[in-house]
Amino acid sequence: MEQFAPVKRSKDGQPVRYLIVDDSVFARKNLARMIETFGGQVAAEAGDGLTAISEFDRTHPDIVLMDITMPQMEGIEAAERIVQQHPEARIVMVSSVGYQENIVAALQRGARHFVQKPVKPEVLYEVIKYVLGEDGAVANAAGAGA
Amino acid sequence: MTNSPDERGAELRDLFYETSQELLQALNEEALKLEKRPGDEEIVRVIRRTVHTLKGDSAACGLRELSELAHEFEDALSLEGTATQAAVAEIAFAAADVFAEMIAAYRGATKLPSTRSLRKRIEELTSAPAAKKSRRKKKTTADKTATDWTEHEKLAMSQAQANGQDVFHVVVKIDPHCAMPIAGRQLVHNAIGGMGPIIAVRPDPKSPAASKHVEFVLASVQTVEQIAAKCRIPTIAEDITVDLMLAANPISAKTEMEGTAAEAEAGKVIPPAEAIAVQPSTPLAEPASPQAALENILRVEAGRIDNVLNLVGELIIGKSMLQQALSEFSKRYPKELLRGKFADAIAFQARVLNDLQRSVMKIRMVPVEQLFRRFPRMVRDVSRQCGREVELALSGQETDLDKGILDAIAEPLTHLVRNAVSHGIETAEQRRQAGKPAQGLVRLNAYHQGNQVVVEVSDDGRGIDAQKIRSKAIELGMVTAEEAARLTEAETLDFIFRPGFSTAEQVTEVSGRGVGMDVVQSVLHRLKATISVDTRPGQGTTFRLKLPLTLAIIKALLFWVEQRLYAIPLNAVVEISRTSESEVHQVDNYEVLQLRNQVLPLLRLGRSHLIEGDRKSGKLFVLVITVGERKYGLIVDALDGEEELVIKALDDQTFSTDLVSGASILGDGRVVLILNLPAVVEHFARSRPQEAGTASSGLLLSHTDRMRLALSATGGQA
Repeated sequence: MEQFAPVKRSKDGQPVRYLIVDDSVFARKNLARMIETFGGQVAAEAGDGLTAISEFDRTHPDIVLMDITMPQMEGIEAAERIVQQHPEARIVMVSSVGYQENIVAALQRGARHFVQKPVKPEVLYEVIKYVLGEDGAVANAAGAGA
Repeated sequence: MTNSPDERGAELRDLFYETSQELLQALNEEALKLEKRPGDEEIVRVIRRTVHTLKGDSAACGLRELSELAHEFEDALSLEGTATQAAVAEIAFAAADVFAEMIAAYRGATKLPSTRSLRKRIEELTSAPAAKKSRRKKKTTADKTATDWTEHEKLAMSQAQANGQDVFHVVVKIDPHCAMPIAGRQLVHNAIGGMGPIIAVRPDPKSPAASKHVEFVLASVQTVEQIAAKCRIPTIAEDITVDLMLAANPISAKTEMEGTAAEAEAGKVIPPAEAIAVQPSTPLAEPASPQAALENILRVEAGRIDNVLNLVGELIIGKSMLQQALSEFSKRYPKELLRGKFADAIAFQARVLNDLQRSVMKIRMVPVEQLFRRFPRMVRDVSRQCGREVELALSGQETDLDKGILDAIAEPLTHLVRNAVSHGIETAEQRRQAGKPAQGLVRLNAYHQGNQVVVEVSDDGRGIDAQKIRSKAIELGMVTAEEAARLTEAETLDFIFRPGFSTAEQVTEVSGRGVGMDVVQSVLHRLKATISVDTRPGQGTTFRLKLPLTLAIIKALLFWVEQRLYAIPLNAVVEISRTSESEVHQVDNYEVLQLRNQVLPLLRLGRSHLIEGDRKSGKLFVLVITVGERKYGLIVDALDGEEELVIKALDDQTFSTDLVSGASILGDGRVVLILNLPAVVEHFARSRPQEAGTASSGLLLSHTDRMRLALSATGGQA
C-alpha cells in the first residue's frame, strides 16, 4: 500500500476525523483503511442516510465520505440535510460513474467534492487535501494543498 | 396579420421548416465545393454564415437544441486555424444531416436524434490545432469573440464592471481521465461561484462539449491568480485559463497571467459596446437576400392548391355534361338556332377552363432542380462508400414537374442513382483497363416530351450483361431455357424489374443490377409512369423514366370491353387499328398480331373471344399502346371516345389490384376505370404460358366487379 504524507488539521495538528457512510461494510472498511494511510481517524461509520445525520450531529467530523445509494435515506438527501444544519460540513460524495447526475445534484446541494468508485487512494488523498484547503496541513511537506 | 401569438409562433416555425431546407441544401452544396477546394476560406465563411443564419432562425423559433448545436459549429468555424482543416467539409456534411434530422424531429414532434458524434467531431475540430484556446482567441478576428454572450449577459457584465467588480473569463479544461466530467464541471462551478456572481456559463451542461471544458464569466474582486488557484481542482481541472475581460476600472487593468494576454484583452475589452451594436445588425443583414425573395413568393399549403385543382376537375366534368346536353339538344332540335349560341358559349367556357386548369397545374409545378440538388451529396457519399470515382452531371434542372410526382419519384430516382454509382460504374482500375477515364460519369437529365416529362439516369459504366440476366432468370425459374433464348434484349432486361429477381443476392454482384428495382417499378406504376432501360455492355446504362405532367387530370381514350367502360391514358396510345380474329396468330401461347412489319403481342381484357369460337370471324379493335419501350396490342370491343378525365383516387383498402390506377366520373355520371397499363402488361406476361390470358382477364374482371360496387357507393356521395 502506498505511503502518503499524513494530513493533519492545521488548527491543532490532530488527525483529520472522518464519518464514513456506506451501506456496504466492505466499502466502509476499505475507505477506513485508506483514511488510516492518510493519517486520518474514523470518527464514525453509518450504513444509511438517517444514521449518517445522527452520527454527524454526535461526532462533528471534519470530512464526510458519503455513498449515494443507500437504504432509508439516500446520500444526496442526507448530504443536503447535513449541509442545511452545518454549512461548514465538508461532504465528499463517493459513487460509481452511473450516478453522475446524482452527484451533480449533490454538488448543487452543498456537497464539496466527489470521488469515483472504485476509490483510488491517490485520488481520494488529493481530493481530501483540496477539500480541507487551509484547514488541512500536510505533515513534513512544504505548503498546504492548493 | 392579426393572429394570436401562438398562431404566429406556429407560422414562424413552419416558415423556418421551409427555409431551413434551403439552408441545409446550401450547407451541403458549400461542403461539396469545399471538398473540391479544401481550405478555401471563402467557402468556409459561407458555411459559417449559413450555420449562423440557421442558428439565429432556430433560436427565434425556440428550437434550443438546434440553435445550440449550430452555435457550436459556428464557433468552431470562426476559430482561426479550423477553416483550413480538411475535416471541415466532412463535418459540414455530418452537420447538415444532423440538422436535418433534428428539424424533422421538431416537425414531427418526435425524439431528437443524438448529436453526440457530431459534437465530438466539432470539438475535435477546435482542439486539433496545436494552438491552445487562449492563444487562438488572440488571433480571433475583431468582429468575433470566441464565445457569443447574450445581450442579457453583456448587460450583466457592464453592470458588474460599474459595481466595481472585475469581469473574468475563466476557461477550465476538464481532465479527459475524469470519468464524471459533468459532476466535475459542477464542482468547478461551485468553486467559481464561491468567488463572486457567475454571469454566464458555456457550454450548456447537456451538450457533450460540456464534458471537455467549461467557460464562465465571473464578476469578482479576486485576482486572476486567486481565481486560477481555486479552479485548480485535483483530478478534474486539467488546464485553466483566466482572462480579465472587463476591468472594474478600465484604465488600471490588473496584472495578467501572461503579459501578452493583456494586449490581447485590450482589443477585446473595449468592444462590448461595439459587440452589442454589431451583433443585432448581422442577423438582420444576412437573411436579407432570402427575405427579399420571400416577398414575391407566396407559401401556400399544397392542400389548398389541391382543393382548387379538384374544383377545376369538377368543372371539367361539368363541361362534359354541357357538351353532352348540347349534342342531345342538337339531335332533338336540329334546326334550332340557339344551338350555335350554346356551342359558342360552351367553346368559350371550355377554352377558359382549359387555361384555368393549366394555370392551376402550373402552381403545382416545380423545377426538377429541387430534386436534383440533393444528388451531388448523395453521389459523393455513395461513391466514397464503394470506392468509386464518380462525377455527377446534371442537366435539364429547369424542367417543371408536378410537386406530387416530384416527391414520389425522389425515392426511385435515389435508388437508380445509387445503383448507377455502386453497380454501374466500375472501379478505377477496371475502367483504366477498359480504356476509359478513371472517373466515372453519372448523368441526370430531364426534359419535356409531348405530354410527359422524361427523367434519365445514365452512367458510362459497364452496362448490363443481358446474357447473365437471362441465365439468372432461367435459374430462378422465371423462364425456360428455350423461351429465354428467344427473348429480345429489351425483354430480357425487363427481368430486372420483376419482384423475385431482385431478392436473389448474387445477381447484384454478378449483373450488378436489380437491387430493389421492383420497388422502383411499383412506385412508377402508381404514378402511371414508365421506366425503360437502355444498356450497352462496356459503355453504360440509361434508365429512362417517363412521367405524366400531372397526376390529377389526364387525357384518356375510353373504350368498351364486355359492356364495361375503361380508359387508358391517351399518350400511351400510338394508333388505333381494326383487324379481324383471323389475323390473330398464336405463337407459343402468345396471341400476336402482325401489323404492317411489326409483330405485336396482344392483350385481351375480355374472355369472350377465346371462349366463343364462333366469333373468330369478328372484327376487332386493336389499340396499339406503348409501355416502356415496347408496343402491345390491346383488344377492345368498341371505342367510346377521347375525354379529359379527372382522376379520383381509389381507396387502397377497397381495391387490392394494381391493374386499375384510378377511376373517373364522366359528364353523364358514368364511372370509368382507368387501367394501369404497365401492371396490365406485366400481369399478362406473368400468367402467360398455360392459359393465354384467360386467368388474368378473369382476375381483372372479378376485381372490377368489386370496384364497381365500391365506386357506385362513393359516386353516390359525390
